[in-house]
Amino acid sequence: MNRSRPFVTAFWIVVLVLAHYTLRPFLGWRVQADFLIVALLLVAVRARPAVAAVCGLAIGAGTDALTPETFGAGALAMTLVGFGASWLKAAFFTENLALNAVFVFAGKWAFDVVYLVAQRRMHAADLLVQLVWWSPLSAGLTAAVGIGVLVWSGTDSVRRRA
Amino acid sequence: MARVTRTDPRLDLAAAATCVVAALVCLALPATTRDAVAGALRSSLMAPLLRLQERAELGRRTLRGHDVAAQVADSVALRALRLTGIEQENAHLRGLLGLGAALRWGFVPAEALGGRGVGDDPTMLISVGRREGIEPLSPVVTPDGLLGVVDRVDANLSTVILWQHPDFRVSAMSTNGDAYGMVQAHGGSGANRFFLEMRGVLLRAQLKPGDVIVTSGLGGVYPRGIPVGTVVSELRTPDQWARSYLVRPAVPLSEAGSVLVLSRERADAGVPNVWASAVGADSAARRVVAAIDSIARLTGDSNTVRQRRAPMDTARARAGVPGRRGP
Repeated sequence: MNRSRPFVTAFWIVVLVLAHYTLRPFLGWRVQADFLIVALLLVAVRARPAVAAVCGLAIGAGTDALTPETFGAGALAMTLVGFGASWLKAAFFTENLALNAVFVFAGKWAFDVVYLVAQRRMHAADLLVQLVWWSPLSAGLTAAVGIGVLVWSGTDSVRRRA
Repeated sequence: MARVTRTDPRLDLAAAATCVVAALVCLALPATTRDAVAGALRSSLMAPLLRLQERAELGRRTLRGHDVAAQVADSVALRALRLTGIEQENAHLRGLLGLGAALRWGFVPAEALGGRGVGDDPTMLISVGRREGIEPLSPVVTPDGLLGVVDRVDANLSTVILWQHPDFRVSAMSTNGDAYGMVQAHGGSGANRFFLEMRGVLLRAQLKPGDVIVTSGLGGVYPRGIPVGTVVSELRTPDQWARSYLVRPAVPLSEAGSVLVLSRERADAGVPNVWASAVGADSAARRVVAAIDSIARLTGDSNTVRQRRAPMDTARARAGVPGRRGP
């Protein structure tokens, strides 16, 4: 393992967290990329499932502080996504760019599913529209960001394939 | 890609289960404890990030404002002002300036901070708090009318309950004072959740589609005369003693960008003649139309009947009140 790798990962996590609170509101798009999910997945593929779950809980609780009405829903979703991603990394996180995109897409979509179900705010029809239309769009954008981060962050074989 | 070898899967499962239980406990916390925890996070760990977000939101609006200003300065670009989005933003900013000038004192301008962006969120964070003198139960308004009420206040931020929130209630009345009722979120699914409903209106006080509903001033939270919405239709309810009406909100949630928070003193002093121009024009137009209708009925002049909406539409257009739907 390259000794500088943890620092590079930490750098990209900081960049993604900052992007979530600067670039995302600055763009103000209806369909938004979730930079925090990408950051969590970066942690998840490099750490044990326990560490990923704790990171998910921390990130989720932090973002839940902005929506106190649903406090805990984001933490639950992030915990499950972090743990699941770290658990499944051997199967999914290969050097294949397309599989990485699917990995990020599935992570974001799974987050939305757990979050929306846990917050219990939307009725069945609206929930369906959100999960079938808006969430996949957002997950697609998030996957694009994730691929960009993987390419730029210097995963050599990924860069070569890109 | 380097990966850490799993040494003890049971340890991972135990840690993950603990995290899940912690998240579920957060979900089940009582409101006061939950608010305290969320408030502590907002004012400590999340504070720098929220400041960044506020700057980014301001930057986005400034960029839009700059675009509008450049287009105004450039006569060639005047045609671009007809673009709906820019016109709406321009009108909103002008309206906010106009509202601030009409209020004169007792308000704090604030920026709305976007949430997670997943699904509907009936609450909103705004960029002012205790340091700016914000108190719980302060009304939050825009040039179009009432948006919500401050629920929780931190040092630099406040949480606002929007009209879509299930706990939102406001005592309201028709502009002529004939009908009083309680306005709350209509709820339901689909487009229904973007409407309000006015309950408890006496049977003898009948409202018509297009009637403007304003706050009544009863209850001591909202001053009298802030537009709440426009009557769309009467709702069929099992109530035998009162009527309920579907109300189109005066402030669409999508336009909740820049807002004003009324201070307690301003709310107590009232807001006479601040929103009165739009509401008054609407009432005047109605009286004119009613008079023309009466004359037309007496004289049997069908042309007058057909053209009776013209003065109303003109008055609405001048006052900036949206036109009524239907035939």
